[in-house]
Amino acid sequence: MHPHLEPTPARHRQARGSGPDRPALLADEFFLIAHDDQTGRPRLHQSAISHGLAAALLGELAAAGRISFDRGHIYVLDHRTPADPLQHLILDRLVGEPQHTATRTWLSYLAATAHEEVARRLWQAGKVEPQQQRKVLRTVTVHVPTDMNVAAWSWARLSTKLRQYEELDAFDLALAGIAASCRLDQFILDGAPYAVGAHLRRLLAAAPQPMRELLADLDTAIGHTVLSHRT
Amino acid sequence: MPRHDPDTVSAVLTRGRLGIPAVVFFVVAAAAPLTAVAGGATTGYAVTGVLGIPLAYLVVAAVLALFAVGYVAMSRRIVNAGAFYTYVTRGLGRPAGVAAAIVALVAYNSMQIGLYGVFGAVLSGLLNDRFGMNTTRWLCAVIACAVIAVLGLLRIDLNGRVLAVLLVAECVIALVYDAVMVARPVNDLGVSFDTLAPGNLIGPGIGAALVTGIAGFVGFEGTTVFAEETKDPKRTVPRATYIAVAVTALLYGLSAWAMSVATGPDQIVAAAQTEGTDLIFNLVSPHLTSSLVTLGRWLFITSLFAALLSFHHTVARYAFALGRERVLPSVLGRTSRRTGAPKAGSILQTALAVAVLTGYVLADADPIVHLFFWLTSLGALGVLILMTATSVAVLSYFARIAHRDGMWRTAVAPFLSALALGAILVVTVEQFDALLGVEPTSPLRWVFPASYAVAAATGLAWAFTLRAARPDVYQTIGLGADSATAPLRTPDPVRQPV
Repeated sequence: MHPHLEPTPARHRQARGSGPDRPALLADEFFLIAHDDQTGRPRLHQSAISHGLAAALLGELAAAGRISFDRGHIYVLDHRTPADPLQHLILDRLVGEPQHTATRTWLSYLAATAHEEVARRLWQAGKVEPQQQRKVLRTVTVHVPTDMNVAAWSWARLSTKLRQYEELDAFDLALAGIAASCRLDQFILDGAPYAVGAHLRRLLAAAPQPMRELLADLDTAIGHTVLSHRT
Repeated sequence: MPRHDPDTVSAVLTRGRLGIPAVVFFVVAAAAPLTAVAGGATTGYAVTGVLGIPLAYLVVAAVLALFAVGYVAMSRRIVNAGAFYTYVTRGLGRPAGVAAAIVALVAYNSMQIGLYGVFGAVLSGLLNDRFGMNTTRWLCAVIACAVIAVLGLLRIDLNGRVLAVLLVAECVIALVYDAVMVARPVNDLGVSFDTLAPGNLIGPGIGAALVTGIAGFVGFEGTTVFAEETKDPKRTVPRATYIAVAVTALLYGLSAWAMSVATGPDQIVAAAQTEGTDLIFNLVSPHLTSSLVTLGRWLFITSLFAALLSFHHTVARYAFALGRERVLPSVLGRTSRRTGAPKAGSILQTALAVAVLTGYVLADADPIVHLFFWLTSLGALGVLILMTATSVAVLSYFARIAHRDGMWRTAVAPFLSALALGAILVVTVEQFDALLGVEPTSPLRWVFPASYAVAAATGLAWAFTLRAARPDVYQTIGLGADSATAPLRTPDPVRQPV
């Protein structure tokens, strides 16, 4: 099967504008969009962040040509080890547990640890710094971006491109799609005319089939977390 | 497929799944036992004038257990059950499904809004008596409504452990009260079993008594919604359902009977009419320390609050599922970005509650009889309609698929439960004047049941409109959150590994 998400090299093109180098990893960028670029506090509720990150991690593997999505299931296309250790770990798990193929199952599984693992990867890359913050009854770890410009770059780029009705490349389309499934589009498109939202929906409707598959399963997973929420 | 070891994926996904006790706590909390005992049973006696309330609880429990047989059998095959609405869609088709969804929205909203009446009355009574405050019933109801609105938007549910503690405390206090009441019969006349005689259920009030019984159980149907989150859905869901029905039935039956022992069977209706929801507390207060009576009153209030919150979330989730399918406007299918709450559905429920409460305040109606009893009876009637339709849906569903489940589960029990529930439905509608406590000529006796006819007709008409105008939406009816995948493939909801 032919992977429809663009393979890695295409994502290294320098985007227009004067932003910093684009981070090459989908989950890293989603993590940065999903948290405040100054304080590192979440912009979304926890289950949306963790499911969005899980989808982004699977998206990374798809972009690297290792897996694809079809009718609700994940297919491993290429067993070769990805360079990124976290991608490596996930691909190993996908290969090692072939009894589970449903995308929803993998989204739920990865969501359990995605936040911690992506945060660690960003920390190792020097993009965030963990900080303990005291809340009313507990202490929470917040990952504060080391460089606000790097952290804000992804959403600023998406926001600008969408507001100018530009096409998005596969990387940005996947990022925008995951953000939209998590309701982060409200934030990215804050104050934009309704037509911009319609433009995004049009782009997503025309996305490659495997990406639409992944996003539909992400929507379903998030819908289920709402319907089955218990504390 | 063979299970590979070690299966890390399954191990991670099954972490924190619910066992039987947790499911029972969640659903019985929605049924709010102390609410049914102190509020439902006494108001039932008072309004219907029927002595057979204790027996009605037991009869209803038997019918519900019969209903549960087919209901849980279907829950094994339909993943991510959105409850009645999904089952009716799968068994009787999409138009019937939309009709059921609208009926369910009306029914659960009525249950929820009706509870504000008793909550306001009981809380203001306690605050005024104990703390010398000067609140009104409506003020307390409106404050409760505001608190529920905020909790709904913040997506705060009562914690499972908190619910468990409250529920156990409620049951214990109800049993203590029952023991006191049975030990101290009125005028030392001895323990009378008169209210348990079958003869009490034959007569003009039977439908009213049975629907009062059903109102006390509403919430038990939630067990199947938890299927995805249980350790072993095939085992946990049926057992939790039967346990929930049995425990609540015994508690309700015992308490309603114990009250009649304490007042004397001939006096129970008059006593319930004069003392209302205070009856059970007034009956035990001469024999118990005042702290135990006050504790019971507080638990009555917390139980009401848990039920209010639970029904609020139920309505918001129903609206969310329908919004996701775009059967209702898709704005209902959006969540709040920060809290993940089904925001629009939650706001809609609150708005409806505020509108109804305002209407009652302006009309200066009685919060217990006109708001609590009428609306929860209306809600129970809706749930009764849904259960009857679901029984038929179970029959029809199993008749059309190849399966190896036994005849009892898939045909006999659903058939008998459809008959029994249908019979209760017929007598209830026939005797709705007795249930409301109005004259047989009052138009209200037809207005209440007719609201469901209107709801169902609206649902049917809307479904046919969708089929003609928006076939893509029509296809997703009954899929709930899974409707997102409908444009890509025939949605095949995934049962998460256990």
